[in-house]
Amino acid sequence: MNAAVHAPKEPPTKVTVRSLDFYYGADRSLKNISLPLHANKVTAFIGPSGCGKSTLLRVMNRMYDLYPGQRAEGEVLLDGENILDPAIDLNALRARVGMIFQKPTPFPMSIYENIAFGIRLYEKLPRADLDARVEAALRGAALWDEVKDKLQASGLGLSGGQQQRLCIARSVAVQPEVILFDEPCSALDPISTAKVEELIDELTSRYTIAIVTHNMQQAVRVSDYTAFMYLGELVEFGETDEVFNKPKEKRTLDYITGRFG
Amino acid sequence: MLSIEPGRRSANGAGGEADSDMSEIVLQQASQSSVTADRSRALGRMALVDGIFREATRAAAVIVLVILGGVIISLVHGSLPAVRAFGFGFLVSQSWNPVTENFGALPAIYGTIMTSVIAMLIAVPVGLGIAIFLTELCPYVLRRPIGTAIELLAGIPSIIYGIWGLFVLAPFLQTHVQPALIAAFGDIPVFSTLFAGPPYGIGLLTAGFILAIMVLPFVASISRDVFETVPPVLKEAASGIGCTTWEVMRYVVMPYTRVGVIGGVMLGLGRALGETMAVTFVIGNAHKISGSLLAPGTTISATIANEFTEAVGDLYTSALIELGLILFVITFIVLAIARYMLMRIEQKSA
Repeated sequence: MNAAVHAPKEPPTKVTVRSLDFYYGADRSLKNISLPLHANKVTAFIGPSGCGKSTLLRVMNRMYDLYPGQRAEGEVLLDGENILDPAIDLNALRARVGMIFQKPTPFPMSIYENIAFGIRLYEKLPRADLDARVEAALRGAALWDEVKDKLQASGLGLSGGQQQRLCIARSVAVQPEVILFDEPCSALDPISTAKVEELIDELTSRYTIAIVTHNMQQAVRVSDYTAFMYLGELVEFGETDEVFNKPKEKRTLDYITGRFG
Repeated sequence: MLSIEPGRRSANGAGGEADSDMSEIVLQQASQSSVTADRSRALGRMALVDGIFREATRAAAVIVLVILGGVIISLVHGSLPAVRAFGFGFLVSQSWNPVTENFGALPAIYGTIMTSVIAMLIAVPVGLGIAIFLTELCPYVLRRPIGTAIELLAGIPSIIYGIWGLFVLAPFLQTHVQPALIAAFGDIPVFSTLFAGPPYGIGLLTAGFILAIMVLPFVASISRDVFETVPPVLKEAASGIGCTTWEVMRYVVMPYTRVGVIGGVMLGLGRALGETMAVTFVIGNAHKISGSLLAPGTTISATIANEFTEAVGDLYTSALIELGLILFVITFIVLAIARYMLMRIEQKSA
């Protein structure tokens, strides 16, 4: 199995996954995964359905902890700290590692509240400061101009693409360090997809990003690094250009050229 | 209209045949027309069955309206003598004297509302707590047993609650809880009145407790069912920005399920208002309004159940029927308020 390409020019690492195994009950769905997420870079995870991409993402913010019978073994280091440690504060971890889901998940409240809610969990701000933070988050998600006149309307009334950007704004408002995108565009039309991709590009200046996608072109467009997974194993990891242009593994080549998957 | 459909289809078919010029293969034409005929017969049959089905469901819906109307008419008709005799005073009078035939509904109305309020004050928070525990916190192996136990609680006949309330709960409250309440609230204004007097055991508070236990399963199991309709990904999203379990429940699950929870609460309230047997056992059946919750009282349904068999004289019977009409109106008002609240909520979120 190929580990990371250790070139000297490599940027600093934000998250390090080391010999990670994951079990759904007795099923071993991740097998000895090791890879880095480089700081302020986009890492794409590709592979056929059921290969463990989403599972890997859900380990990085311990989302699997919500469900009984799921467990991870190995190490996942966030700035050198092992987040699989049972003693770690999950709420604090999830504030540092945000997540965007396949389906937009606006909360049943107003657009303004959707953003302000997350901020209030951690900070007590005067009204004016809160307003400014909400505006900044919505601008950051390229949504401000579309919603500034209806901040008190329900978040559920927005279009799918707008809802997804609202969720990104909500995640950004909490000021995370890492953002995990789990197929964020698979329910969106091409125009909304383009907007979200553009947004991901802008976010890299401040955040470390991991994105699961079924869309090869999307992986090529948005990511700096790509990990190809198959049946719970990491087949290949490297810079996106290399993985797509001269993959080292035949399975990778077969998948990206559409011969299976 | 539906019955015309098949006829038109076969006409079309015939027209098509005429167009597709003569000669050709006569055999094929013949078989084609027999297929068309078969199909139009089948369609005719289906239209008939469909019509019967529609009328049957319509009849089922109409029956409900007819029964409802019949109940209202007979209640109004039966209570006319009492209405004529007492007028509006029936609603505000506290007297209840079968000998002089002087009746007033206020104590029964007061008891009905007070016991229901006590029941809901206890049952709603506890029921929501049960539902939250079952959906979010309970270890997996315990979910089913506890859920089943709660549903069984709803299945216990009310007469059994009555017996248990009279022989177990009332003595327990009398010896342990009520003296403590009297001592604790004795010096606080308002509360000293609410919890004044000797601990009888039976009374409004005990009836409220029994009702709370009876209503609890409705609130708990309906809330649990609606909590389970929340998409897991929505809860994950809330956890994903760092919400605690409480924050997920309070700010995401509760608003998402508000309508369903209110429905469950109203169903429980409906049961509390109308519950008869268990309340009759433990409320004390006294036709007076006392400031204390520990004192005996009565409810509308308890009064009717207790006295209908011994109601001699038309005015007595009529007064009891008018009580029934009042209970009907109270329940109707509660339902109307619930509907109105749901409408407001939906308007706000839309």
